[in-house]
Order: sequence, then structure tokens, then C-alpha cells
Amino acid sequence: MTRVAGLLVVCTLMLTAAPKTWADDKCFSCHQSLGDRASELFPRDVHRLKGITCAGCHGGNAGIEDMEQAMSKAAGFLGVPKGDEISRACAKCHSSAERMKQYGSSLATGQLEQLQASVHGNLAASGKEHIAQCSTCHNAHGIASVKSAWSPVHPSQLVKTCTRCHANATLMRTYNPSLPVDQLEKYRTSVHGIRHSRGDAKVAECASCHGSHDIRTAKDVKSTVYPTNLPATCAACHSRADYMKEYRIPVDQFEKFSKSVHGVALLQKHDLAAPACNDCHGNHGAAPPGIASVSNVCGTCHALNADLFSASPHKKAFDERKLPECETCHGNHEIIVATNKLLGVASDAVCSRCHSETQNVKGYVVARSMRALIDSLEQGERQAVTLVEGAEQKGMEISEAKFKLRDARQARLEARTMIHSFSSERFEEVVGKGLNVASAVSVEAHEALDEYVFRRIGLGVATLVITVLVISLYLFIRRLERRS
Amino acid sequence: MWKRLYDWIDQRVQLGGLMEFMGKKYVPIHAHSVWYYFGGVSLFLFIIQVVTGILLLLYYKGSEELAFESIQFIMSKVKFGWLIRSIHSWTANLFILTSMIHMFSVYFARAYRKPREITWVTGMLMFFLALAFGFSGYLLPWNELAFFATKVGTDIPGVIPVIGKPIMVFLRGGEDVTGATLSRFFGFHVAVFPAIFTVILGIHLLLVQRQGMSEPMNAEANPHTEKKTMPFFPNFLLRDLLLWLIVLNLLAVLAVFFPWELGQKADPFAPAPAGIKPEWYFLFMFQTLKYIPGKVLFLDGEILGVLLFGFAGLLWTLVPFWDRKSNRGERNRFVTYLGLFAVIYIMILTIIGWVA
Repeated sequence: MTRVAGLLVVCTLMLTAAPKTWADDKCFSCHQSLGDRASELFPRDVHRLKGITCAGCHGGNAGIEDMEQAMSKAAGFLGVPKGDEISRACAKCHSSAERMKQYGSSLATGQLEQLQASVHGNLAASGKEHIAQCSTCHNAHGIASVKSAWSPVHPSQLVKTCTRCHANATLMRTYNPSLPVDQLEKYRTSVHGIRHSRGDAKVAECASCHGSHDIRTAKDVKSTVYPTNLPATCAACHSRADYMKEYRIPVDQFEKFSKSVHGVALLQKHDLAAPACNDCHGNHGAAPPGIASVSNVCGTCHALNADLFSASPHKKAFDERKLPECETCHGNHEIIVATNKLLGVASDAVCSRCHSETQNVKGYVVARSMRALIDSLEQGERQAVTLVEGAEQKGMEISEAKFKLRDARQARLEARTMIHSFSSERFEEVVGKGLNVASAVSVEAHEALDEYVFRRIGLGVATLVITVLVISLYLFIRRLERRS
Repeated sequence: MWKRLYDWIDQRVQLGGLMEFMGKKYVPIHAHSVWYYFGGVSLFLFIIQVVTGILLLLYYKGSEELAFESIQFIMSKVKFGWLIRSIHSWTANLFILTSMIHMFSVYFARAYRKPREITWVTGMLMFFLALAFGFSGYLLPWNELAFFATKVGTDIPGVIPVIGKPIMVFLRGGEDVTGATLSRFFGFHVAVFPAIFTVILGIHLLLVQRQGMSEPMNAEANPHTEKKTMPFFPNFLLRDLLLWLIVLNLLAVLAVFFPWELGQKADPFAPAPAGIKPEWYFLFMFQTLKYIPGKVLFLDGEILGVLLFGFAGLLWTLVPFWDRKSNRGERNRFVTYLGLFAVIYIMILTIIGWVA
């Protein structure tokens, strides 16, 4: 209650007892004569420029020369706010749209609420206050507009401000021991970081991706860097043609990614195992993967495919021609579902880009035979599925054959992976395995369908026999009863 | 050759007396004679259950890990296994249906009246055992529906105060439906129930043979009118046989056109599938329990339902002892109305339960 009353007094004094000129600000003139740091920074403070005196935050009466009177409780003096009192003192104006309007500010008024809902709004290790107060990032005296280059939250300064805590392993261990503290180091290696160090304030810094007051942990579904939100966060800059114009890079990545197999899985099916932008480009160290490292990037998930490719004859050929490995056939942001169409020698097959009947003939022959094999496997599997479904619809117990179909599907998936070995022998072996399973399933399904027919014929015969017996018995009973 | 064989047996076990008894046994012929056949059909269906049950036993494995797979094996690999299993399942249902028809026909004809009280009581005991056969056999394939239906079914006696919990634990072989419940139900289904059933069936058949078929009350009331009869042997028996053949054919048609499904293997950790229902013959009780409010006066609704059905079953079983009017040969309208109410109630609630 005392604090609330104190704040009310401060507000009243601030509005009614504010000195008309800076010379009338007795707090400032006295502290300036003492030469302290606060009074050294305060003259360029955005608040002072708007006419707010020391009493605006600290209370008291800035118009009275007598120190004891000016800093008395009766004058509403609060002293130096500590802990959460700091943010509350700021919120006094910054959470009031009316007050902000008086100062001609169009700043949003929900910062404190956002801050308290953010990860920094959690309780500090001391248990007495929230982790971050307004002054943690904006400083206390000498607060500058975010547009001002010497503000600690100006894009050019922000990285330094955030890393004051985030690069401090001892401090971070107190809150989240698993959170890395090398973000700055990585950032300096990223395209964003390199440009930033050259003075480019347009490139992404911490707040560009994580937000400012409302920063949430990356595991929080509302976080701007949560996997399903991240592509949109990146696209906020990378899809803006006007913004990206000077960098001369495409701006259709998000559009392409959204349609890709990865984008559909992540954005539509919310499959968190699917990659977002950072899974291929890195996050703090974001950069386009170089030609040499494309297969390593894809290989982090598609490990088997990458291994097979590295051991294949294509590895050397691609390296010599400086072709990016996976990307050459599958593309990058627009990777679509790999179908059999990619394989073979038809005009829409990727193999035909390098292999033809006259050029690189060996590869042409292998691609043609591989395509024929995988088509036959797919056809065999399809036929087996149709037969099993037919038998099942007829009420036949065929669960074992149905279960075996998984092996045929597995073999097809293995075969698709084995394509990356570009070895006819290894490919044939896997396809053969699948064809055998599909054929065994088809045989079982055929047997079930034959059994279905047999059952009906059997029932017909049994019904005939029983009918004959029933009629005979009926006639016998009639004869017997007539006789008696 | 038949004569020589008969003589050979006759010399050793004196068949003469039995043949003479059989020769003198007559079945009354009247407007309601058709109902006599349902006892015979029920007996025939029971015999089919015994035979097909023994055949299934050759391959069935009564354990949590193997029960489902063994039925799957019977259905897909064993020659005619599908037929045997489907016939066993269909017969189980038809057996309960014909037993019900037989029971109600005896009830409405007042055939339970003196001197056939014991025949009625043994019949009722067999009917309850048939329900127990159905309930225990339903779990044996260890599929999803059976698992959850058994869970719900064994929960019901658990609500009875004092004795309910021990009964539930005894039925389940523990607190929950597990592999122990399956082993227990298997034991009941193939050993305990058949043994008791056979003894009661023996007494029931012996009494039927000894006392003959009951005549309708109005026939007894006019002893001077000429009574039409038919020799039990061979006439009635041959007619029985004719009906049995038709029923056998019906079973074959059902087994071929509507093979009994196996469903999904039970997974105790999976959530219960929507719309779990018991077998049709328990539906009227299940549906009734749904309609009883949670609390009736000081009694829990479910307890009240269980006690009501227990009381109704007891009253029904003891009808020969409280229906004194019928014993005296007088018409008892109350018994008729009670029977009609029971039939209509069971039919309506079963239909509602089925459609719901």
C-alpha cells in the first residue's frame, strides 16, 4: 500500500512539480556537481529530452533545493528502485497509452506484459525478482531510442547486449546449463554476422529472429524460432524482394520450401522431424552450405543415402565437375517427393541429364535397368496388395500375408535408397528380395481366393446332400406315419 | 447283420426292457407341439459345440501371448479350421437363442408345473451355464472387443457390496483383466462348465424320458377327449433328425457367408474402442444398467440393477414353486403377463442396445 501511495505521489509531483527549465531540476544540478555517472549519462537520455526529471523515476521534488526536503518521504522520494521495482517504475508510463500520448510517443504499451510472459520473465536464481528488468537491456540513465546508434538495443549494439549474459557460461549455467553460450562465436561466422560486423544494420541480429520483449524458449510452440514457426521468421526478411534487393539472392525460398516434401511435412503435418531452415543452414551460424558440404548437410538425416553416394562412382564424377551432390538431382528448397520418375532414361528422369545412348553410356544402361527393376517391384507389390485386399473383402483370414506386405514395402524403400549406390548388382539383390516377398504374398492371396470359391462350392455340395437327406427322411416319415 | 448285432448286445445288456420302454413312449400332438422341437434342437446344438470345441482344442493355446495367434492359425492354416471355428461361434449364439425359445415355450405352456419342477430348475441352471459358456468363450480369442467387453462384464459383479469385489477378483484372477483371466476363463469354458453341464443335462434328459412330454393344461382339463399322440421312437426322433439336418445346413450357410471375424489382438494398454457392447444375449441387461440413474434413494444405480436382475432370475427359476394356481390346473394370468412382459422387455431393450 505504501508503495502504491508513493507511486501516486511521484506521478502527481512529476506532472505538477516538474521544473520549467533544466536549471530548475535541483536533483540533476546537485548530482552533476558531484560528477556521478548517472548525471553524466542523463543529459542525452530520451526521457530527459522529453522533459522528465530524476524525480520521474526516483520520486521526490526536483524543484526544492533543500536536499532533505526534496528527498523526503513526504515529497514521495523512492530512492533507487531495485529488482522488479525497476520495471514497475518504467511501466508507470510505458504501460499507459494515455501517458505515452502526452509525451508524443507511439510506442506499444504492452512491453512489460510481454517481458513477463517471456523466458526472461521467469523468476531469477535469487527467487526475489524476474530474470530481466527493463534496465537489463536498455540501461538506466542515458536510455536512448532504439533507433539511436548508441542504444544498447540498436541492431548494431544488440548482439553485444544479449551476449553480456548469453556468452557468460557461469551465469547461463544458473538458468539453463544445456543452453550453448557460443552463439556469438557462431554468429560471427555466419553471413549475417560477417555483414553485421561490417556495419550492415539490416542483417539479422538476435531480436530479428527471437523477438525483443516476448522472447520465448525455442521449445515453446509460440516461439518465433519453434521449428514450425521458423521458416516464416526467416521469410520475414528473405521473402521481401525490396529488403533483399541489395543482397542479390533469390526471395522465393519460402515459397519453394512450403511446397517441398520437407515443407509439407513440417508446416502442414507438423512433423517436427522434418527440417526447418536452420537444420540445413545452421541457426546462429547460418550460411548456405557450400558445394562440398551439401551431402554432409543432407546426410545428417539421410545418412545411408549419403554413405552410398560417397562410395559410388558418382562421387568422383560430381567432385570433378564441381556439382553439389544431393542438390544436383533433388534440388534444394523445392525438393519434391522422390518418385520413380527421377530414375531412368526418359526425358523427365534426372539421369538423362548426363547419360544418353551416346554419352556416358554405361550409366545410361544402368539407369534403364534400374528403372525397369523398380517398376516391376512396384507393380508386383501393387498386384499383391490388390489381391490381399480382394481376399480380405471376401472375409478370408489373410492377416499373415498382409503382414508380409510390409517386407515388400520395406524392400521397395531399401531399393530406393540403394539407387544411390548406382550399382546394378546391389540394386538387383534388394529388388529381388522384394519381388520374392510380393510373389509369395500374391500366391497366398490367390490361395485364399481359391479357397473362397472352394468354400462356396463345398457349401453347395453339402446343401445338396443335406437336402436329399431331408427329402428322403421326410418321405420316409410320411410313409411310416401313413402305415401306422 | 443288424439283427445279429442287436442280439449280440441284447444277450449281454438286456436291451429288451429299454426297447419296450421306448416303444411305449408317446409324444402328445396338439396345436403347440411345434415347441417340443426346440429342446431337441438345443441338444443338437450342444452336441455340435462339444464336437467343434474338442476340435478347436487341438490347436487352441490358452495364453495371453498365443491365444490370438492360435485362432489366426486355425482360421488360415488348419484344414477346415475356419469352418469349425465359425460353426462353433455361430452355434454358441443359436444355442442360446433356441434355449431361450425352449425356456419361454415351457414357461407359457406351464410345463414346469408339478411333477416337472426339477426338470424346469435343471433347465434354468443349464440356461445360466449357457450364458456363462458364452461369456467365458467370448474372451478366448483374446481380441480387442472381447478384452474390453470382459473388462466391462467383470466390472458389473464388482459393484455388489461386500461379496462383489472378491467375485470380481476371482473371475479375473486378479484386479485387472490379464492373461490370468484368459487362463481362468479357458479352464471354466472347457472343463468346469462342461462337467457341470453334462451332469445337469443327464438329469434333465432322464427326467424328460421318465416323465414324458408335458401336455397343455386344457388337454389335461378334459381327460375324456381323445388324445392324439405320436410314438417317440422312431417318429418324433426322425422328425427331430430332419430338423437337425436343416439346422446343420443353416450353420454351414452362416459359416460360409458370414465367417466369424477375429478382429485385432487385445492390447491392454490401448484405449477402449468406441461402442463396446456385450454379446446380444447380455444386451438387454447392459442397456437397462445404462438407464438406471446413478443414485436411486440410498442405493447406487448399478448395484440396484444387478440386484434387480439377480432377483428376477431367482423368481423366474423358482416359478414352479410360487405359481400354485397352475399346479392346481387353474389359469394364472399373472404368470402369462409376467412372461409377456419379460419377452417384450428383452426384445425391445436388445434392439435399442443393438441400434445404439
